[in-house]
Amino acid sequence: MDNSMDNLLDTYLFETNSLLEQLDELLINAEKDRDFTSDEVNQIFRIMHTIKGSSAMLEFDSLMTIAHHIEDLFFYIREHGMEGIDSSSKTDLFNLMFKSTDQLREEIQKVENNEPLSTNIDSIISEINSFLDKISSGQSGAPAAAAATGKAETATAAVPSGGAPEGLPKDKGACFVHIFFDEGCGMENLRAFMLVTSLRDVNPDFRFYPEDIETNSDSAESIIRNGFFIAYDSQEAAEIGTSIIKDTNNIRSYEIVDNPTASAPAAPEAPAAAASTAPAAASAAPTAANAASKPAATHSGSVKQNLISVNLSKLDSLMALVGEIVITESMVVSSPELKDVKLDTFLKNTRQLRKLTDELQDIATSLRMVPISGTFQKMNRIVRDMKQELHKDVRLTIIGEDTEVDKGVVDNISDPIMHIVRNSMDHGIEENVEDRIKAGKNPQGEITLAARHSGNEVIISVTDDGGGMDPATILAKAKANGLLYKPEEEYSQKEILSFIMLPGFSTNKEVTEYSGRGVGMDVVKRNVESIGGTVVISSELGVGTTMTLKIPLTMAITDGMEISVGGSIFTIPISNVIRSLKVQPEEVTYDSEGHELIRCMGDFYPLVRLHKLYGIDNSITEVTDGLIMLVETSEKSYCLLIDELLGEQQVVVKPLPDYLNHFNIKDSGISGCTILGDGNISIILDVLNLYHAAQSIL
Amino acid sequence: MLDNNNNVTENTMTDNFDISADPEAEGDDGYVRSYLTFISNGLNYGVDNAHVVEIVTDYSLRPLPMVPEYIRGIINLRGEVIPIIDLRLRLGCYDNIASSCTIILQDEATTIGLIVDQVSQVQDIDLKKTVPIPVESKQELTNRMISLDDGTVILVLNFEALIA
Repeated sequence: MDNSMDNLLDTYLFETNSLLEQLDELLINAEKDRDFTSDEVNQIFRIMHTIKGSSAMLEFDSLMTIAHHIEDLFFYIREHGMEGIDSSSKTDLFNLMFKSTDQLREEIQKVENNEPLSTNIDSIISEINSFLDKISSGQSGAPAAAAATGKAETATAAVPSGGAPEGLPKDKGACFVHIFFDEGCGMENLRAFMLVTSLRDVNPDFRFYPEDIETNSDSAESIIRNGFFIAYDSQEAAEIGTSIIKDTNNIRSYEIVDNPTASAPAAPEAPAAAASTAPAAASAAPTAANAASKPAATHSGSVKQNLISVNLSKLDSLMALVGEIVITESMVVSSPELKDVKLDTFLKNTRQLRKLTDELQDIATSLRMVPISGTFQKMNRIVRDMKQELHKDVRLTIIGEDTEVDKGVVDNISDPIMHIVRNSMDHGIEENVEDRIKAGKNPQGEITLAARHSGNEVIISVTDDGGGMDPATILAKAKANGLLYKPEEEYSQKEILSFIMLPGFSTNKEVTEYSGRGVGMDVVKRNVESIGGTVVISSELGVGTTMTLKIPLTMAITDGMEISVGGSIFTIPISNVIRSLKVQPEEVTYDSEGHELIRCMGDFYPLVRLHKLYGIDNSITEVTDGLIMLVETSEKSYCLLIDELLGEQQVVVKPLPDYLNHFNIKDSGISGCTILGDGNISIILDVLNLYHAAQSIL
Repeated sequence: MLDNNNNVTENTMTDNFDISADPEAEGDDGYVRSYLTFISNGLNYGVDNAHVVEIVTDYSLRPLPMVPEYIRGIINLRGEVIPIIDLRLRLGCYDNIASSCTIILQDEATTIGLIVDQVSQVQDIDLKKTVPIPVESKQELTNRMISLDDGTVILVLNFEALIA
């Protein structure tokens, strides 16, 4: 496939996917009201029309056919209103719509994966058709299919063919509006058609060229080359038309051109001249005397929207480049050659450079930020489907959906959130409403999806008010699977709950369509960890379960404190560091098991000896000789014994090679690594996991 | 940044670079493939040349804590972080000799460095002539062997098993 085709396909996939998402959201909302407003009907009609048209252009027949039939259906509904449909049919209509959007999505996925599209789509088609028959037979109106095709025919048969689409078409109208679309925006014929549709809403009295934009994808070519013409019978009508055109997206320029064949039929060379000149020149040609073209020309260009879509890989390389700049900047500033030299201007300029790179980094990061709402909205759909399937009454509450996170994070948390929501629906919320009423809960279950920022993290939680998890059952299951490595009674609630994140662990006796195979939570854990996050489970039997995902806001660049232990350099995220201090012998005490405790600011904190944990030789082992760094995490504060503090540094986080994940390297408190100015590697510590690792070897 | 790409053992320099420039350089019948042979712990091994990126000898190794001993650490190779595996240790031989001769190997997803005692040469091996190793137990990294015309025996290293 050549490059331009790839671009076109990308555009198509992006557009269709966002349309389907839009459709899903619309359907969910409409279902709550159990009705479609006429606006919504129109919107669905337009969405289907766009999908149909663009699919036809790329020859995705199955997509086109499905979209076409839904379009027919909604054409009928648009003509006859929702009133004529009784409530049971409405339920059918919603189910049918969800089913068909699913089918569309499946097909799109096949396109994305480069798989052949299904050829057998008869079942969904016949389902749509029989539904259409049902509602149309219930009313006296003409069959909708006939109406729809009738409309299509009038559209294409409006004017007999205007000959070759080179330049100004032959038309009896008084003037043309000559339109050029943005270069490379793709699918010009469909954009033209959508424009025609919206113009028709205002004033149906016009013709357009090329005429076959709806059916002939080659017309896009001619629109790119010659522009798109709309012929009006009067100047006034054309000006009303331009007021719509100027609010349409992706239009590069438009102008009103008088029709030379209408005003001067005796001058056959005029259309040829207008055709061969560029649009700018054309306005300067004889017709330019007309005042109408001047205001039109001033409009053009000012109507573009302020959004552009950018390929993610470009943003990725931008981010990587900014990362390199940040590293290089600190390499330059801290060059060893400059160590004992005092250079005032140099210092001043490096400060300015630092400020600019900081700003650059902020902007580059913000470019990749997207609201999490898209991911959350998808859950609406899952809850809705499962609600029907499982006959549970559940409401989904969404909090903080406009929280922004890195695009890479959004892509990676969609699956985990889906698994958790499914689990909550399937196992969390009680099977019987009676159980809920007995427990004094609202008969309607509730699942809450919440997102919020906290420091350098975004915290996403999924809470259900269901039955909660029974630690005894999980422990028993873990014992049966031989997963226990210490006496049963020594397991804390948290340790027990974390069993459910092991691969293949499920307390469910039966495998259902949604869950029970024991892969879900394992996937959740792995996906979240792959982006540097953690999963925390808390559950109370009879009250409910909360799964909390903590994910670093941006994975790329972070402020770190560099420390050294026995010659090895480590980096601790600055957000974890509270302070560093020298301790006096009297500030060190021991608990009954011999664990060292450090007194600091009136509190006692456990001590973790990094050199002992990591087996580093030739480091300082005397607490009073070394340096103590007090670190905190969301759950624990403790002290680290280190040799020396090297200073604060912005570091570009690099994930450890995948290969090392075989060895659970994250569990030993290492979250990644970074390349220092001199080319050496520093290991970035994960303060929380480091503590757990230290506990496990005690 | 380390300037490593020239540190190829002398006798393999030309061969190696000629062939890695064209990794698809296999025989017409598709069974003859070029292999990089090397010595580890007195045995000859061969690894499919399509996996070989380069051979480095001079780098600064950053040891990793709490990993199996055969993972010697990670290195920074032109901005990419690559784990280094010591083949001797990986195969359970602990009388370590100091070698820094490291073959960088790569498939689509994974890049690793493999410390070997010495790199020998690049040579074509006819896969039809290889035979399974006739001992069943623990042949996890090498699954086939071949006896060459000059009498040397080469064990064919299974890269996929190494990184699994």
